[in-house]
Amino acid sequence: MVQVKNLPYLTLRFKFYKKGALQYISHLDLVRTMHKIIVRAGFPLWYTEGFNPKPKLIFGAPLSIGCESECEFLDVRITERIDAESAVTALNRLMTDEMQVTEAYYTETKFQDMAYLGYDFRLTLADGLDSMERIAACLAREEILIEKQGKSGKQKVMKTVNIRPQIRSAEVFADGETICIRAVLSSDPSDFLNPEHLVSALKRECGILREENLARECYSILRTHAYQRDMTPFR
Amino acid sequence: MTSIKQLSSILKSVQKPGRYIGGEMHSIIKNKEDITHRFALCFPDVYEIGMSNLGSRLLYHTLNSDPHIWCERVYAPAEDMKARMEEHGIPLTAIESGEDVRVFDILGFSLHYELCYTTVLSMLKLAGIPLLSKDRTEDMPIILGGGPCAYNSEPIADYFDLMNIGEGEELLLDISHLYMQMKADGSYSRAAFLHRAAAEIEGVYVPSLYDVTYNEDGTIAAYTPKYADVPKQVKKRIVKDLDKAPYPDKLVMPYIETVHDRITLEIYRGCIRGCRFCQAGMIYRPIREKTPETLCKQAKCLYENTGYDEISLISLSTSDYSRLRELTDQLLDWTDDAHVSLSLPSLRLDSFSEELMEKVSSVRAGGLTFAPEAGTQRLRDVINKNVSEEDLLRSVRIAFRGGKSSVKLYFMNGLPTETYEDIEGIAQTAKRVIDAYYELPREERPAGLGVTISVACFVPKPFTAFQWEKQDSFDELIKKQSYLRGCITDRRIKYNYHEAKVSFIEAVLARGDRRLAPAIAAVVEDGAYLDAWEEGFDFDRWMRAFEKAGVDPAYYTTRGFGLDEILPWDVIDCGVTKKFLLREREKAYKGETTPACSEHCSGCGASALGGKNRWCK
Repeated sequence: MVQVKNLPYLTLRFKFYKKGALQYISHLDLVRTMHKIIVRAGFPLWYTEGFNPKPKLIFGAPLSIGCESECEFLDVRITERIDAESAVTALNRLMTDEMQVTEAYYTETKFQDMAYLGYDFRLTLADGLDSMERIAACLAREEILIEKQGKSGKQKVMKTVNIRPQIRSAEVFADGETICIRAVLSSDPSDFLNPEHLVSALKRECGILREENLARECYSILRTHAYQRDMTPFR
Repeated sequence: MTSIKQLSSILKSVQKPGRYIGGEMHSIIKNKEDITHRFALCFPDVYEIGMSNLGSRLLYHTLNSDPHIWCERVYAPAEDMKARMEEHGIPLTAIESGEDVRVFDILGFSLHYELCYTTVLSMLKLAGIPLLSKDRTEDMPIILGGGPCAYNSEPIADYFDLMNIGEGEELLLDISHLYMQMKADGSYSRAAFLHRAAAEIEGVYVPSLYDVTYNEDGTIAAYTPKYADVPKQVKKRIVKDLDKAPYPDKLVMPYIETVHDRITLEIYRGCIRGCRFCQAGMIYRPIREKTPETLCKQAKCLYENTGYDEISLISLSTSDYSRLRELTDQLLDWTDDAHVSLSLPSLRLDSFSEELMEKVSSVRAGGLTFAPEAGTQRLRDVINKNVSEEDLLRSVRIAFRGGKSSVKLYFMNGLPTETYEDIEGIAQTAKRVIDAYYELPREERPAGLGVTISVACFVPKPFTAFQWEKQDSFDELIKKQSYLRGCITDRRIKYNYHEAKVSFIEAVLARGDRRLAPAIAAVVEDGAYLDAWEEGFDFDRWMRAFEKAGVDPAYYTTRGFGLDEILPWDVIDCGVTKKFLLREREKAYKGETTPACSEHCSGCGASALGGKNRWCK
C-alpha cells in the first residue's frame, strides 16, 4: 500500500479493448468517458485532494485516432480492496460492446515498464496484393523517412525523420486479398512511434492509399500486445 | 450505398471523426422488423452543438418510447466532411443505423436559429432530396420543421412540407401516428396526409395549403387556406402538465466533448417577465412549473444513469422558479457527497442572493454573468427589464465578496428609442461595477478583477412588443459600437460586440415572408453553409443572393412594419395576443413598465391555451 498525503490507496488495473467505431474516439475523450463510467460503477474511489477533487485514473500508452486495440490499460486508485472479477462485471455493464474490460488485477508495476507495443496492420488496396513486395522491401530498408511536424524553438516546422530505429520488427504477409503487417514498435515515451506514421511512410514510399482512392481503399490498425524491455508480456 | 461509418479511410482523413460514428452509450438501436415508422431528428449544425440541445434530447426519448417508432439522429457534417461526401457521392446518413436519410418516413429539422436555414437546405441537397416541397415525389420522406423559428417560417416555407408549431412531445407523436395509420390503411399520399394533418392535428401548419396575396406596396393582402377544413390561424400546441410529460431517464452519452456536456434539468417553461425584445419570453408562455419532487426524482435518476458531475437547472430565468430554495436544498442533500455541482444559468439581478451563490459555488469556481441589457434606467424601463442599477451593484458586491472576480455583463445596442446617452450609460455601468470592487475593504476583494461587457445588436423578432420596430441600419449600429468603444476609458473593462452584419441578416430572416425563399436557395447555391459559425458567414454572399433574387433586405429591417399591416406570422396563434403586444408597445414608448406574472396578471392571452400553472388569471 502506497501512502500519499496520509490517504492510502490501492491500484486496480483494468485491461480492455476499444474497437469498431470507438477507434475514432480520441484519447482525451476516452479519459472523460472513463471518468463518468468509473464514477457510475460505484467503486470506493480515492479522490485527489484540493478544491476540485477528482478520482485518479491513469492510462497506459495513448492510442491515436483510427487505431483499434485489444490491449489497453487503465489504473484506478481505490481506498479499499474489492473483488476484481465483480469490478469487471460492473464496468462492462456500463460500456457498449465496442469497449469491454477483459481482466482486472491488483498491481504495483508502472506503465514506464512498457517498452514495445505490437500492432496488426491490414491494408485493403484497389490493386489487391500488387503492392505487397514494395511494402516488404520498404520495411526492410535501413532508413524509412517520414515528414513530421516538429518544433524549432517556438516555430512549427516540417522535419524529416527516420522511423526505422523505432521499428523493432515487421513481418509482411497476405490474408486473402488483404496485405497484413505484424509489427512491434517502440512505446517508450521518449521514442514513441505512432503506428499511423508507419502508414504515412508506406503511403509516401509505395504510392498506396492515395487521396482519390479514399472511398475504395482502406486500412486498419489493431494494437495487440504490450511488452517489457526484455520482450516479456507487460502486465 | 455505403454509409460514412464504413468508410474508414474517409473518417481517418477528417477532423473529429467521433462526430459521425454514433455507438454512444444509451443511443437507441431497434430491430427494423419490430418497427413500422422511421423518424430522423435532423439538427442543422454539427454534432457537438446538436448533442447539447435539450429539445432534441427530449424528442428523441419521447419518439423512441413508442415501440413502433425508431427515431434516429442526423447532424450536419462539418465543412471538411461535407466536401468529402460531395466528392465521393456519399449521401447524408443517420447516426444510429448509418442508413441514407431517404429511407426514412419523416425528417424533422430543428429550427433553432435563423442562420441555420442555409444548413437545412444544404443537408437536403446532400441527401439528394429536392429543395422545394412541391417537387418531392411520393416515395420521399416528409420534411418537417419545428422549434422557435417555426413561429415565422415563411422565408423557408416553400422548402418544408409541414411545420410543427409549439411543443413537440405530443404533437410529433400525433403526426407520426397519423402517418402510420394512413400507411396501414392504404390512404396515404403526400397530399392526403398533409391535408389531414393540417385539418385534424392542433399545432400543424402546412404552408402549401395557404395562398398568399400581396398589395401593390408589397405588404401582405391575405393568407387564404385552400380548403375549408384547414384552420385560418394555426394555434400553438403546448404540453399542459409538465410533471406528467415524458422526461428521459437516460441521456445519450457523447464520447467527444460537446458544448454542454452535463445533466440538464428543465425546471419550468415560459417566463414571468415580459421583456419587450424577447421572443422566448412570449412564445413559451404560459408558465408551467415542474414540482421539486418531480425534478429531484429526475435528477437522481439521470445522475445514476449517466455519471455526470454537473447538473444544470435550466429555464428562461432560473431564479424566478417559485420553489427554487426547496429544490436546491433537496438536491444539495446528496449532490455534495456525490461530488456533483449545481449550475444555475440565467440568474436575474434582482433575485441574486448570497445564499444562492453559495449553493452554486459549493464545488466549483467560475465567473458570473448578468444581463442589464441597457445602460440607463430609462431604456431599461422601455424594454421592461425591471432591474435597477442598485440591483446590479448589490449583486456584484455579493459576487466579489463570495470570491468571484470576473463579471460578465450583457447589453444590447439599437433598442427602440436608444440615444447616445444610453450607450454612454453602458460604459458608466461597467465603470460603477469596478468602483464597487474597490469600495470593498482590501481583504474582501478577490484577486484578478475582470469586467467584460458583451454587446449584442437588437433584432426585432415576431411575437414581441417590438415586432413592428425598425432595426438600425448596420452603418448606424457600427457607429454606435465605435461610440461605445470611445466611452470606455478603463482598460480593466473588456468590450465584446456582435457583428452588426450578422444581426442585419438575422433580422431579414426573422421577419421575412415567402418572397425570400429564392434568395435563401441562391445563397446556398453560392456555397453558404454553417452560417451560424463566424467562419461560415459571408455578408457579401448574402447581399449577392438578395440582389439575384430581386429582394430588398431593407424592406424587412430598417423599414419597420405598419401597425395595421398583415404580418407574415399572423397565420400563427402563439397564445399571446396581438392586442397585448400592441398595448406593451404603447407602454414602451411611454417608458411604463409591466409587472411580472407573479405579481399581477397582465392578460397576455396565453392562459387560453390551458396548462397547469399558478400565475394566470
